[in-house]
Amino acid sequence: MDNARIIRHLKEICRAPEPEKKKTFFQGLEARGLTSRRPEVINHGEFLLRQFFYVGKWVWLLTAVLLLCITGICYGNTENYPFALTPLLAVGILVETGRSFRWKMAELEYTARFSLRSVMLARMFLVGIVETAGLLVVIWVVRPWFSYSLSRVFLYMMVPYLAASLSGSVYERKNRSHSGLGSIIICFMSSGLFAAAPYCLSSLYEERFTFIWTVAFILLILCLFISVRRWICELEEPVWNL
Amino acid sequence: MELIADRITKQYKNKIAVDRMSFTLTKGVTGLLGANGAGKTTLMRLLCGILAPDSGSVSCDGMSVGTEEYRDILGYLPQDFGFYPEFSGKDFLLYMSAVKGLTKKDAIRKTQELIELVGLRDSAGKKVRTYSGGMRQRLGIAQALLNDPQILIMDEPTAGLDPQERIRFRNLISGLGQNIIVLLSTHIVSDLEHIADRLMIMKDGQLLWQGNRSAGGEDLEAFYISKIGEKR
Repeated sequence: MDNARIIRHLKEICRAPEPEKKKTFFQGLEARGLTSRRPEVINHGEFLLRQFFYVGKWVWLLTAVLLLCITGICYGNTENYPFALTPLLAVGILVETGRSFRWKMAELEYTARFSLRSVMLARMFLVGIVETAGLLVVIWVVRPWFSYSLSRVFLYMMVPYLAASLSGSVYERKNRSHSGLGSIIICFMSSGLFAAAPYCLSSLYEERFTFIWTVAFILLILCLFISVRRWICELEEPVWNL
Repeated sequence: MELIADRITKQYKNKIAVDRMSFTLTKGVTGLLGANGAGKTTLMRLLCGILAPDSGSVSCDGMSVGTEEYRDILGYLPQDFGFYPEFSGKDFLLYMSAVKGLTKKDAIRKTQELIELVGLRDSAGKKVRTYSGGMRQRLGIAQALLNDPQILIMDEPTAGLDPQERIRFRNLISGLGQNIIVLLSTHIVSDLEHIADRLMIMKDGQLLWQGNRSAGGEDLEAFYISKIGEKR
């Protein structure tokens, strides 16, 4: 007897009996008012989709303006400093995470079914995915204007963005601020640092350092994941004032 | 359904906000009385799972307060809450419906129902930032009821309401209290006089007294003052 037949036989032997009095049971529930409670709850996918429309419009506007600026500056200047503009993209994502606290919505969101944690994760995910997708399009568009390979342009764009996101997330985790000013300063500082770096280390963008850039990219992705995870865990109990 | 608090304690640096409190809440309206700073808000946050107790536990029919299942049956009105600036009253309720997991169809139906219930039909489309304190409070009450809660916890719900709105609120809560657990905190005794089935009196983080409203007699204010005075 082959496996398929064994499985078929087992299914026949172990078939669940037809439910008896199923209808009566549900009618009973209805009569006792137990089905009047909301049975349907949206899934995480639908929740994520609906959160998309609640991300601050200025975040999308800032992202679009910055991506256009990066493209424009790369078109006019094929030096290395346009790469230093990508940390500014992280401003949107970092400031957005403090929105619930800034507008005193955190306590309400915290006690809802999807909780503040899901709200913040959803926003970070949505803004992060849109910014990364936008950046990938920009990388593809600007690549012909540089003498570097596509993978090198990708690394030079992504590493500063991830570095700013990581340092901003660590700062926000340790010093949650309502204004997000600290994160904004961090993003501008990261941008300045990457703009100044080629002047201090002229060989930074040479091909032989590609391996270092790749390692930095992987490490930043890992650290960012760990940092966001810790941040979200710490949100389990927001510290409220008396 | 029972909401059980078992020897819960919460301390902030050198101040004990809630000190070994134990009680059981059942269907009906329970009024939590106490002066400002007595620890009412901290207790409510502990019951909602916003704060974790330093010791003790809070559970409802075996569910811990930190779970999604518990939050699904919870309605909460904080003492101080805000709104995203771009929201109209209706947008706010639709947003809260989404966070509470209501389907789009249910969200629209419940939003419409509650807007009518709290008397905001004419201003539902206006920005919340243009609302008066009382209107905001009514909107807060509406959001707490969006998910048909089995446990309704309201921190100073009558703050900012005018006398007419207070009466409407009392009627609403009296009706709700017949089927669900309602806990209201206030420092205004008259808010509870006509609607509370049970009372809890707090002072300096401690539960001074708990019992049936009827034990308070005709003059609830005098009863409250006598209980507060007993501790001195």
